[in-house]
Amino acid sequence: MNTAWLIPALACYALSATGFTMERAGMHSRLARWAIPMLAAGAALQTGDLLMRGIRAGNVPVTNFGQSLVFLAWLTALAGLVVIVRMRMPVIGVYVAPIVFVVLALEAATMRQAHLAMPQTLRSVWLPIHVTLALLGYALFVIAAGVSLVYLVYERRLKAKRPLMPTDERTPSLEKLDRINYRLLGWGFLMLSLAIVTGAIWADATWGHFWSWEPAQSWTLVIWFLYAGLLESRLTVGWRGRRAAALTIAVFTVLVGSFVGVSLLATGKHGGNFG
Amino acid sequence: MRESLFIFGVNHRTAPVAVRERLAYPEGEIVAALARLKEAAPTIDEVALISTCNRVEIMGVTTAPDRAQTEATDFLAGDRGVDATAFAPALYTHQARSAVRHLFRVGASLDSMVVGEPQILGQLKNAYAQAATAGTAGLVLHRAFHKAFSVAKRVRKATLIGHGSVSVSSAAVGLAAKIFDTLTDKTVLLIGAGQMAELTARNLKRLGVQSLLITSRTFDNAVALARKLDGTAVPFDNFRPYLKLADVVVGSVAAAAPVIGPEEFEGVIRERRYRPVFMIDLGVPRNFDQRLNALENVYLYDIDDLSTVVRESIGDREREAEKAEGIVDLEVDSFLKWLDGLELVPAIKDIRSSVEQLRELELERHRAWLAGLAPGERERIESMTRGLVNKLLHRILSGLRDGRAGIPDGVHAAEIARRLLSTELAIEGGALIDDDRDEDDDL
Repeated sequence: MNTAWLIPALACYALSATGFTMERAGMHSRLARWAIPMLAAGAALQTGDLLMRGIRAGNVPVTNFGQSLVFLAWLTALAGLVVIVRMRMPVIGVYVAPIVFVVLALEAATMRQAHLAMPQTLRSVWLPIHVTLALLGYALFVIAAGVSLVYLVYERRLKAKRPLMPTDERTPSLEKLDRINYRLLGWGFLMLSLAIVTGAIWADATWGHFWSWEPAQSWTLVIWFLYAGLLESRLTVGWRGRRAAALTIAVFTVLVGSFVGVSLLATGKHGGNFG
Repeated sequence: MRESLFIFGVNHRTAPVAVRERLAYPEGEIVAALARLKEAAPTIDEVALISTCNRVEIMGVTTAPDRAQTEATDFLAGDRGVDATAFAPALYTHQARSAVRHLFRVGASLDSMVVGEPQILGQLKNAYAQAATAGTAGLVLHRAFHKAFSVAKRVRKATLIGHGSVSVSSAAVGLAAKIFDTLTDKTVLLIGAGQMAELTARNLKRLGVQSLLITSRTFDNAVALARKLDGTAVPFDNFRPYLKLADVVVGSVAAAAPVIGPEEFEGVIRERRYRPVFMIDLGVPRNFDQRLNALENVYLYDIDDLSTVVRESIGDREREAEKAEGIVDLEVDSFLKWLDGLELVPAIKDIRSSVEQLRELELERHRAWLAGLAPGERERIESMTRGLVNKLLHRILSGLRDGRAGIPDGVHAAEIARRLLSTELAIEGGALIDDDRDEDDDL
């Protein structure tokens, strides 16, 4: 069930991941200079792949866990590109490119033969809106966690008074990392909120009720509250820097656990049982 | 007559400052000195003078390196009024390849006291400009200096030789740039108005700091420094309320016990809503309690920490310098190849004109017969002979130039070729007459 776009996309992501890693290791190679264009090329090729799948499925291709993960990887690559280019943060490339590559490679290797038929109840305009918002929110949280990780590693080195490695010359300042983390969390939180709202509207239109307390919904609500708390603590008491970075990673861990757990246990509509 | 480069002089490694300062030229006097030097040393064709606080070097182009150096040394001793024996032991000399390498290394800051320091390139450019003004720089020096500048640029681009901080105050400022994205909206508090604090404050201001608070045990000192640096003086008894405003705190007061302790500062941090604070402790004994570094978003560096940073980046630079040496060696090769090519030029010119002369001689001898031919045929013969000559020359000359024919010394080979082809030699040996007879037989 792979399209012709998938293998070239994987190749580009692999080259990009290698390039970013080499740059991080202080190797000035041609590959390191091409890391960002390769990431963009990978994302463009994967867009082709997703379009083909979407046309076959008749809607956004997110009918099972693997597909959702691939879709999430694609959004992460896109959001990562924006952060790398617009906010001049190539340092997170070494985190984004390998993740996207690994997710896509795993999914390509284990791709199930028959593609899941899309149930009639799901064929709605709300599906792409709801799913894209939710997964875009998650993609931003993925990158925020990456930025936080960079922050913690870098902060520790500054505290330990070993700050000047030659490869660190291009690492952004702590202040900038902290600010970008905050912005990513804010945008991610907004996307997640909109995903919840659109999901509720859609559920109401299809099944006649906004909320059904199935596991995916409950966990999403938990995560929504956690991120809300994270943003709140910054705005009121001013928790920032190290503490904010550590909390971002902690909340992200909960998010990963719930996303994987809920999807694999496959209960409720989000798990593919559409009563 | 091979043109060759030489450099000799003294630098910070070979001569103490007491010697260097007696040899050094004030910047305004170099042009005149170069003119005098050219006068006093007739064997030197081109010359430049590099005079900085760390080195005094004379670089020249000559065909007689040993005599040129004696002349220049005598000139230096006489012109500066220093007995030559006083600086002779400190003198080093580089010739030919070694001289080119030395020039490139100096330009790339590999020969500097602090490896990678950027000033030397500007000083070298100055030396070149002065030689150009004095009219003592010719083709070879022009090229050598320009090449030295481009090598320096390449080294800076390809290695990290200029990275890191090599002084305590620049290390402190470098760290500030790692904590803060911009310093324009940050406030700096100087506790103590000494020289080190002033230097650090100046460096911070260069990065954009606008708000500067200064306190000192002696209020007048604080006021004086505040006036100098466009800051605000704060009385020493009353500086604590300002702590919460300061993103960078620089301590340099003489105090037996720490001026700021962790208990007090924890409250300050909360009031600051955990915005990061960079504390630079230049005092001995230390002004800030060591435990402050454990507080959230506080980064405390004392004088030893900063010195460690400096030592490490000097180490990094030295590692990068090894990479730079490789680049320099490559560029030296390419420069010497150019220089060899330059030396071939006169010989090549002679070879060309000898062969062309032979061709014209032959045509001249057959003029009567040629006159009887149709114009088209005459042109044909003209172009045939020219083609033959050009193809022959092309093979010989390109072989000499790029050394592909396995000729190790192109200049020497070119000289032999030039002599063999020279007209006088051919006539003396009666070669032309012999050739004529052969040709007549064929006809």
